[in-house]
Amino acid sequence: MARTFEFHGGVYPPERKQRSLVPVRHATLPSHVVLSLDQHAGRPARAIVAVGDRVSVGTPIARRDGMISADLHASISGTVTHSDALAITVEGDGHDTWQRLPPLDWRSVDTEPLLARLEQSGVVGLGGAGFPTHIKARLGEQQRIDTLVVNAAECEPYITADDLTLQGFAGDVLDGAQLIASLCDARQIVVGIEDNKPEAIQALEHAMATSQPLPVTLSVIATRYPSGGERQLIKALLDRDVPHQGLPADVGVLCHNPGTLLAALRAVRDGEPLVERLVTLTGDALADPGNRWVRIGTPIATLLEEAGLQRATLDQLIEGGPMMGTSLADTDGVIRKATNCLIAATRQELPPSPPESPCIRCGACEDVCPAHLLPQQLHWYARAKDDDKLAHYRLFDCIECNACSYVCPSHIPLVTDYRSAKTRLRHQRLEAAKAEHAKHRFEWRQARLAREEAQKQARRQARLAKQTSGQPTGAQSTSPQADLRSLRIAQTAAKAAVRKAEKNLARAAQQDPGESHEDLETQLATAQENLRAADAHLADARNASAPQETR
Amino acid sequence: MLHASHNDRRLLRPAPSTGSIMRWVIVATLPGLATMTFFFGLGVVSNVLLAAAFGLGFEALILRLRKRSLHPLNDSSALLTGVLLGASLPPASPWWLIGVGMLAAIVVAKQLYGGLGHNPFNPAMVGYALLLVSFPTYMTLWSPPQPLWPEGLWGQITGSASLAQIDGLSGATPLDAFKHKGAGVSAGDFWAGQPLPEGTLNAWRWVAVAWLAGGVLLLAKRLISWHIPVAMLGSMMVMATLLHGFEADRFASPWLHLFTGATLFGAFFIATDPVSAATSQRGKLIYAAGIGVLIMVIRTWGGYPDAVAFAVLLMNLGVPLLDLYTAPRPAGRPPAPAKERS
Repeated sequence: MARTFEFHGGVYPPERKQRSLVPVRHATLPSHVVLSLDQHAGRPARAIVAVGDRVSVGTPIARRDGMISADLHASISGTVTHSDALAITVEGDGHDTWQRLPPLDWRSVDTEPLLARLEQSGVVGLGGAGFPTHIKARLGEQQRIDTLVVNAAECEPYITADDLTLQGFAGDVLDGAQLIASLCDARQIVVGIEDNKPEAIQALEHAMATSQPLPVTLSVIATRYPSGGERQLIKALLDRDVPHQGLPADVGVLCHNPGTLLAALRAVRDGEPLVERLVTLTGDALADPGNRWVRIGTPIATLLEEAGLQRATLDQLIEGGPMMGTSLADTDGVIRKATNCLIAATRQELPPSPPESPCIRCGACEDVCPAHLLPQQLHWYARAKDDDKLAHYRLFDCIECNACSYVCPSHIPLVTDYRSAKTRLRHQRLEAAKAEHAKHRFEWRQARLAREEAQKQARRQARLAKQTSGQPTGAQSTSPQADLRSLRIAQTAAKAAVRKAEKNLARAAQQDPGESHEDLETQLATAQENLRAADAHLADARNASAPQETR
Repeated sequence: MLHASHNDRRLLRPAPSTGSIMRWVIVATLPGLATMTFFFGLGVVSNVLLAAAFGLGFEALILRLRKRSLHPLNDSSALLTGVLLGASLPPASPWWLIGVGMLAAIVVAKQLYGGLGHNPFNPAMVGYALLLVSFPTYMTLWSPPQPLWPEGLWGQITGSASLAQIDGLSGATPLDAFKHKGAGVSAGDFWAGQPLPEGTLNAWRWVAVAWLAGGVLLLAKRLISWHIPVAMLGSMMVMATLLHGFEADRFASPWLHLFTGATLFGAFFIATDPVSAATSQRGKLIYAAGIGVLIMVIRTWGGYPDAVAFAVLLMNLGVPLLDLYTAPRPAGRPPAPAKERS
């Protein structure tokens, strides 16, 4: 077993995982699903089906829009009954007919088709952020990745989805890890798991023996929240500090959760797009808790009823874990790609927090902060809206794990304060950059017009070249060779600009998956237009000089 | 029924509340208070009860005047301030002295700064320092060990006893006595001369041990961290040992410094007040070590034989600066962020 290291702080909340540690079942096929178009980081997908269209399980119903976005597929077979800017509703026909892509053997297929497959299958991070997996896999093109970390810590109380995924599919998860590792050229795979999952550990140990080609290391770490935080896990497993405003890739690491790896493998090996996921249904208000394979878009109410929801005792419904999850106001929502857990809690198990009292600077929050911040100072300055001080005390380094709120004897909703301060500051930045963003949009329009003009010109030239083939047309260009050369240089530069814009966007989106990155998407679109224009110019010039060259 | 809003926060387990922390600290003062009562009589109890009553009364009064709810009384912080000031005063202090002290502590030092959590200075020590400066005669009259119900107790508390009467009942504290022994007297001669009423030194030692026991309870309950007591006592001991080693006749032994006066009480119950102490661990170490050094400096070269209150208040002044310069390095940040600051 590999050596492990310590990260700062952390808390030991009650685990409460036992109730959902029962054999996994398939949820009943829902009669209808609501597939929202924004189940991933970045821009919402764009619908490509219309009301009345027949779809099978796995039929693409929406395509990604921009770079950070993901495709979406029908998760049941039936008819599209509703489609708007937010979501597509599919009424099921009860047949569950599938539309799969051809299986691929990832060990013998090139990188590009594999990345394309991940993209077409709508695979996104299932741990919570919903970041498109193919974008993350491409990070290896820009940065040296040496280690793929399988984040199986699952440190939040209640949740057991990763645990049971590993108990049932350890081999497939490791295979998925090998697949992603090969895409980003990693040299080793490290699985990080908390020591409260003995059965998953056993399954992993068994599967590791045959996993190849890369060596797999299993690191069992002490159970301590939030060991599953990316930075904390990387510190605990590899003793590497992800730099501030950096990504794990900056220290040569890529992190994936087991569910994502399994979905990636299925997309490639079985040609199955992401249409279902494992969801933990738990809480004392459920008579029949456990983990279920649930189709994306399944109404939460149906799912909970099936698990024996007792509405009389239900006091709070939480999506995600009790530390970082969000309270749902009602049961009207649906399961999304990133929904890993639903907790139907009674008042006894999660009583309301007592009223807030003043901070006494006891420092309990500082001791548990895994980001090594001073939460109480942040609290002070967040309430006072002192932006300089908030920057000084590194508000944006906060990972919102809620360890501070958990230990606060004055019951101050610290993270809630930080979130609203962050929102306010982001809004300010956005306002400050408004003019610049408008300029970028203007540049994009200009680039698009120029590209259209260039393409028109190229088509005209191509026609002309065909008509007048055999006759010299070099009159319009005095030195076609020199012209071609400069155009080639321009095209190379445009390509580089696209790569740079892609890199900027991918980084920003990974750092802040929940935020909008419209401006960077616009800048990327501009670069892409410029590249297309450069392509057209080059084609144009080639056509013009082609007759001469053939002489 | 669901009635949860988006940011509704729930408890995963019953967390300790601010009020329960304060009450546990009060519980931890009990060994010290009981031992003090045993040696110095019920005047200790009257001090504490009067101070606590004044504390709650002033807090309620100010909350009323500020048109706030009386809910904050539940946090027991005013009660704790009363207990701490009551324990610091000479036993059987007159009621008006306690009242003035608590007025300074609760009204001036705490509520005028915005209430719990907003006071830059330790309220109990503000009260103590004010009394020490304003009423030095009353504040330096520590009785020698007494029976449980000492003669004239009632008169002292009600303030009807004259100063001369009180003076007749009280004596010097060991630190005070040593300080004023005179330059020509060697330490050995001084102690051989039985300078204090019988049992005085013994009583102070037992009281110190009892405060230490309360401090251990605080540490065991994780209500305070080790940083402040260890750094404060450590710096005091190092300095006292050096001075004593340098000239034993002039400078009291480290043991006298440790086991008499308010040293252990201050290390565990006063300097550890989280509101007025530094917050980061490094900051706490510097803060507490500073208190220890200042105590030794004032005791040795200053005009006051004890000095815990002044040392704490002086270091309270430095807390904002300490907090600024001892902020820990956030994870993933390069070391020495102080250079980035403008």
